[in-house]
Amino acid sequence: METNSDPVYTDKRHGQYRELFYNYDKTGQFEKSVGFHGETDRVTLQQAWDLFHERIEEARGKVHAGKVSPIVYYMEKNLVDPLNLSMLAGISLWKVKRHFKPRVFKRLSEKTLKKYAEAFNISIEELKNVE
Amino acid sequence: MESDKIMIKYEHRQAGHCESGATSNLFNFKGIALSEPMAFGIGNGLYFSYLPFLKLQFAPMISFRNLPNTVFRRSMKYLKVDATVIRKFKDPKEAMQQLDRNLQKGIPTGMQVGVFNLTFFPPEYRMHYNMHNIVCFGKEDGIYHISDTVMEYPQILTYDDLLRVRYAKGHFAPKGKMYWINNIDKELDIRSAVVAGIRKTVYEMIKVPFPLIGVKGLRWMAKDLKKWPKKLGNEKASFYLGQILRMSEDFGTGGAGFRYIYGAFLKESGEKFNHLELLEASDMMGKAANRWREFAYIGARNCKNRSQPQEDYGMLANMLVEIAGMEEKVYKKLDKIKL
Repeated sequence: METNSDPVYTDKRHGQYRELFYNYDKTGQFEKSVGFHGETDRVTLQQAWDLFHERIEEARGKVHAGKVSPIVYYMEKNLVDPLNLSMLAGISLWKVKRHFKPRVFKRLSEKTLKKYAEAFNISIEELKNVE
Repeated sequence: MESDKIMIKYEHRQAGHCESGATSNLFNFKGIALSEPMAFGIGNGLYFSYLPFLKLQFAPMISFRNLPNTVFRRSMKYLKVDATVIRKFKDPKEAMQQLDRNLQKGIPTGMQVGVFNLTFFPPEYRMHYNMHNIVCFGKEDGIYHISDTVMEYPQILTYDDLLRVRYAKGHFAPKGKMYWINNIDKELDIRSAVVAGIRKTVYEMIKVPFPLIGVKGLRWMAKDLKKWPKKLGNEKASFYLGQILRMSEDFGTGGAGFRYIYGAFLKESGEKFNHLELLEASDMMGKAANRWREFAYIGARNCKNRSQPQEDYGMLANMLVEIAGMEEKVYKKLDKIKL
């Protein structure tokens, strides 16, 4: 039980950045070691990013099909949910949800578009077009 | 913008936990050796809360760390050090000017930032997470020198980037929060600080009258974990399980949700005061931490093979309950200790 089940990786394949890890060994010492993150970290991070990419691709498809506005795509790309987006852009939640409709999005004023563009850190032109 | 060059002689040391690392480095700058585990233990870094009604990256919010700035504020309070914390600035420009003034006076300044737009951070970690801490210690032609204890070496940030991360939005928004140490009396009363720190941690882990915090929260989460595969399906259950593991193993925890660092704190203070019971508690904490790591190791198999779980969720839940029991014993032991 006191063995170190997650050894520190020294192989660069496991990420480019080295972190500090603590360990508790058999002799009762808390050891500090610097290494790349291990199997567990990689698997769980990969899982999260797989889901994010899946959501982004799904949103892109929907935008091209004309079902939702580009805001949805950029929202997924920035890994936020509608509530966080409303905090980011400073627009109330019910309005944000309404702007997801392409019909409503087309009629948005420059001022509102600018708020979204600043929240996503892109230009208004980019906001209107999804690659 | 003035083109003067300011570089404060500040030693960057890597640490497991961003805030206690920053605190320990700031102490070190003032000429007092306080290790990272000591800062972590005195400042109550150890914590657990399970908040299923708040969602972080599409999964329930699980936190192994205290609210932002707790470690710095409490360790200053318990060690009776004169320090300044400015909670928020309304005007972002004012926040940056205050930083410049500090640098001119030669004070390295800690700041709370959001991770998503932090340009030097590992890309795989860049999610919306607003409880990160960095220390700024120099400026050169509008470029700031940053010590981020998660990274191995000091980094740089431009003015605009720094402004952006200091005013990240969302849950627990930093709002330009900054902190620094003004002066330190050379003789610190570490013994009473350790006592106060342990007492507060014990309170937060077993005595808070709210079921989602501390050991009770851990048991509640174990109960929910058992239900996830039936309620949500295998894919989502494995994602939620992944959230527990991401929070406990990633994001600069030093491993096992800070339990290793806390064990190191108990060991160090036990050795300092020659206290046998503290050393025993540290041994128990180290074992609990190893069990946490084992849990992460086994749980990760379910995250790898998402649609067909390799391990039984009931078994994982039982493991969590066992860990909760192990930890509770440590806190009960610490509660009775007299220093």
